[in-house]
Amino acid sequence: MQGLNQLSERIQHFFMTSPFDPQGLSGSLWLIIALPLLGAATCGLFGRWLGRANVHLVACGSVLGSLLISVMVFWAVNDRSTAVLSSHGMDAFPYALASDHGTWFAAGAFTARFGLLVDHLSGTMLLVITGVGFLIHVYSTEYMSHDPAYARYFAYLNLFVAMMLTLVMADNLVLTFVGWEGVGLCSYLLIGFWYTDAAKAWAGRKAFVANRVGDFAFIIGACLLSLWVWSFTVQAQEGNFNGPGRNERYRRGVAQLGPLNYHGLETTARLLAPAPGVQKVDLRAEINEGPLRGWTYGGALTAVLLLFLLGAAGKSAQLPLFVWLPDAMAGPTPVSALIHAATMVTAGVYLFARLGSLLVLSPLAMVTVSLVGAATALLAAVIAFGQDDIKKVLAYSTVSQLGFMFMGVGMGVFWAAILHLVTHAFFKACLFLGAGSVMHGNADETDIKKLGGLRGQMPWTWITFAVATAAITGVIPLSGFFSKDAILDGIRGTELLHYEWAPRLVWVVGLLAAFCTAFYMSRLYLLVFEGERSREAKAPQARESGTAITFPLLLLASLSVIALVYALPLMNGMSGREPVMQNFLSPVFIHARRLGVQAGSFAAPHVETLGGLVAAWLLALAIAWGGFGLAYWIYRVVVPREKAPALPLWARRVQSLVRHKLYVDELYDAVLIRPVKFGSFVLYRVVDSLLIDRVAVRGTAWVTYQVGSIIRYIQTGDAQSYAAVMAAAVLAAVAYAFYNYP
Amino acid sequence: MVPAPNYLILAAILFCMGMFGVLVRRNALVVFMCIELMLNAANLTFLAFARMRGDLHGHVSAFFIIAVAAAEAAIGLAIVIAVFRSRGTVDIGDIRTLKH
Amino acid sequence: MTGQELLFWVFAVSTVGAAGGVIAARSPITSAMSLVATFFFLAGIYVLLWAHTIAVLQVLVYAGAIMVLFLFVIMLLSLTEAGLKGPRLSLSRIVGGAAAVGLLAVLVASIRQLPGDQPMAMMGPAQASTFGSLHELGKLLYGTYLLPFEAVSLLLLVAIVGAVVVAKPRI
Repeated sequence: MQGLNQLSERIQHFFMTSPFDPQGLSGSLWLIIALPLLGAATCGLFGRWLGRANVHLVACGSVLGSLLISVMVFWAVNDRSTAVLSSHGMDAFPYALASDHGTWFAAGAFTARFGLLVDHLSGTMLLVITGVGFLIHVYSTEYMSHDPAYARYFAYLNLFVAMMLTLVMADNLVLTFVGWEGVGLCSYLLIGFWYTDAAKAWAGRKAFVANRVGDFAFIIGACLLSLWVWSFTVQAQEGNFNGPGRNERYRRGVAQLGPLNYHGLETTARLLAPAPGVQKVDLRAEINEGPLRGWTYGGALTAVLLLFLLGAAGKSAQLPLFVWLPDAMAGPTPVSALIHAATMVTAGVYLFARLGSLLVLSPLAMVTVSLVGAATALLAAVIAFGQDDIKKVLAYSTVSQLGFMFMGVGMGVFWAAILHLVTHAFFKACLFLGAGSVMHGNADETDIKKLGGLRGQMPWTWITFAVATAAITGVIPLSGFFSKDAILDGIRGTELLHYEWAPRLVWVVGLLAAFCTAFYMSRLYLLVFEGERSREAKAPQARESGTAITFPLLLLASLSVIALVYALPLMNGMSGREPVMQNFLSPVFIHARRLGVQAGSFAAPHVETLGGLVAAWLLALAIAWGGFGLAYWIYRVVVPREKAPALPLWARRVQSLVRHKLYVDELYDAVLIRPVKFGSFVLYRVVDSLLIDRVAVRGTAWVTYQVGSIIRYIQTGDAQSYAAVMAAAVLAAVAYAFYNYP
Repeated sequence: MVPAPNYLILAAILFCMGMFGVLVRRNALVVFMCIELMLNAANLTFLAFARMRGDLHGHVSAFFIIAVAAAEAAIGLAIVIAVFRSRGTVDIGDIRTLKH
Repeated sequence: MTGQELLFWVFAVSTVGAAGGVIAARSPITSAMSLVATFFFLAGIYVLLWAHTIAVLQVLVYAGAIMVLFLFVIMLLSLTEAGLKGPRLSLSRIVGGAAAVGLLAVLVASIRQLPGDQPMAMMGPAQASTFGSLHELGKLLYGTYLLPFEAVSLLLLVAIVGAVVVAKPRI
């Protein structure tokens, strides 16, 4: 134990002393975004002249450059001396780097600045984005080697990386939204990459429209949030601030940096949290003036968070906006790996992690977020049972795992959700790239019923896919087990006051979803790699793919294993031993946790006993092995038998229902799309064609013509009739004068 | 003493008779003559008011009206002759080339 | 009834009668002669109004020059009685006639609003003897109204030239 302590001390010391000067690095934060952006411009504009090899070099090189700088920044951020001064009257924030690049726009009391912030949370995301992004760029060089539109592809891919980096490095909601929309745009461009196929282009459009619905909710939520902050700056009393002069500094900070700055929001949350015995404006107080008049602070905050939930649901494919993700598999497989597994879809989780201080102030929002995540996790897992397309199974698996992350965030276990985000990025990217490798070596076959027996024919792909599958199902000693278990454990240990039933329900649903995950992933693995080669296979022999494909696979699979370190309880934390990741992310989330306890949303977390921990681990293992065993029994024992029993009618009905994705798309089509299309048709025919064109425009011309053709009869050419009119007018004038001026 | 309004009423009667003639008669020359009648009615009004006020400004106006009426009659009749030469008629109802 | 009033009524009725002859006569020559008669009677009324100069000018210029011009043109155009149509009834004529009658009604009504015994201006014997004389009128014309006087002479020049130009068959 002594040696272990000393070892952990030495490791800590190594990682926490940065060899780079933090202040110098903070001026170079913008380079991280600028390099991929430059790469995108170069590949997009000059790709034709550069040639395939050069385009590969530029694209991969720019992301590699970003990766290197991110590593330096990440290391610098670990240094205890790196801190960012807070301009909102609170203490400085340690373990963070920030740089400000001027005002973007200021309208009245609203300001948006180009500000970049890197703390432990963004640092983690930076490494994931640039690291996995770089590997996928390398993978794409071989995967897309036969495609003539390589320049466009790499330009879009680089642009996506730049946008995602903007999203995570922004220090205010407005700049985050720029990245948010940018990744949505790149997702559309890349899903519909082979746009000459109408179905693929339509899939891109569907993704964009579903994202747009979420973006709309995001914008409204952001606007309401700024109104909320303003009302508070106007209404705050002295009791809100502990210390003289902080009132002024807070107001000045909001005016200078804008109401949507993350530090400002965290400070506002802290100021608003109810404190016993202090007379202050807190969550129960009513807003006095402005458009939010009549709402309480807590109520308005809940509304804002629910709107952000809708926005995150659009981006992260949760209920009810998950329908775009399975269709997004129409894009190239590396795109699916990068965007729809590792990075873009995690933007919703990242958003809620950033707004954690606000989330814990509203128990209703927390419960809603977790329930949405739980429902999505279970629903997607069930749908994945009946899918035969390898990428579709993985897509629904992504939706399900994102549901897990939302469950974690919703219940306040932020660190576990981020840990699962990281491990999921690794093994899901590995799975997608492995699927791509399988497709590459089997003449683009995606139907798993027509594959099989690839274990011997594609060894590297097999081993990495197996490791990644084991990771996702949650088998020791792989990282997925630890991260999923951390979430479930955290949920079980949370006590939400006023909603005691919620954590229990979410935990049970989470266990169920974990079981389903084990089942369908094992099914996928068994059908593709085990058994004999299917008789309907397209190519006679599967080819193993080249190094540019297998190297990233290997790297990602190893990372799936290594990342388990982050979940081990090695660090000395507040309440005994705590996992590395929790300790690592505590500068970011510790205030949120404390706020939640102070605001009375949940009780203080109790210390986990060793017995409880082991019991939880055993339960998780049982679920994982149970799912795997069931899948093995069904697909390796029952199905290949010569005389396999026919499925009973009810089972076939259920199978058909599940295979058709529970008819969700059809439901949306009938409820939303058809009425909108009908409405558009009505507007086109009735309002535009008929009312505006015929009646208003041509009708006016017709009326004018008719009036003119009547009036022309006045032009008689007869002088006496003109004179008669003049006489009548004179009479009228004289009579008027006579009667009015006696 | 003749009361002053009498003169004015006489002038009004003459004026309206002249206007009636202008609007009703078809012969251009007769229309002209009715116009002269109207001018004379105006003259009479001016002179009546001058007498009522006791100064001669009305007389000056009447003098100018006579001069202008002479000029107008000269040119108007020249126009009638020109129209008669090209159209062959002085009937106002038949001169309507401005008709749509 | 004083002599003045008697003379006024005689002249007034005659004027109106002659004016009626102007507008009602079928032949233009009859209208022209009626108009000459109107001018003469009007000159008489002008004298009653102590506007001696204007009365003389009326006879000289109006009845003497303008009407002669009218008669010349009538004879030049050889308008015979046959072929002249009477006034046709049409909408504009009805409107015009009604307007004229209406105007008369309104004008009479407004004139009647003046006080009935509005006296003529009181003048001293010196002014009364020269009121309306050429001497007094000349003083005004060459004094206050010099510019309009000269302008009228120019106008007459323009009228002469214009009449010649318009009536020529070929310029």
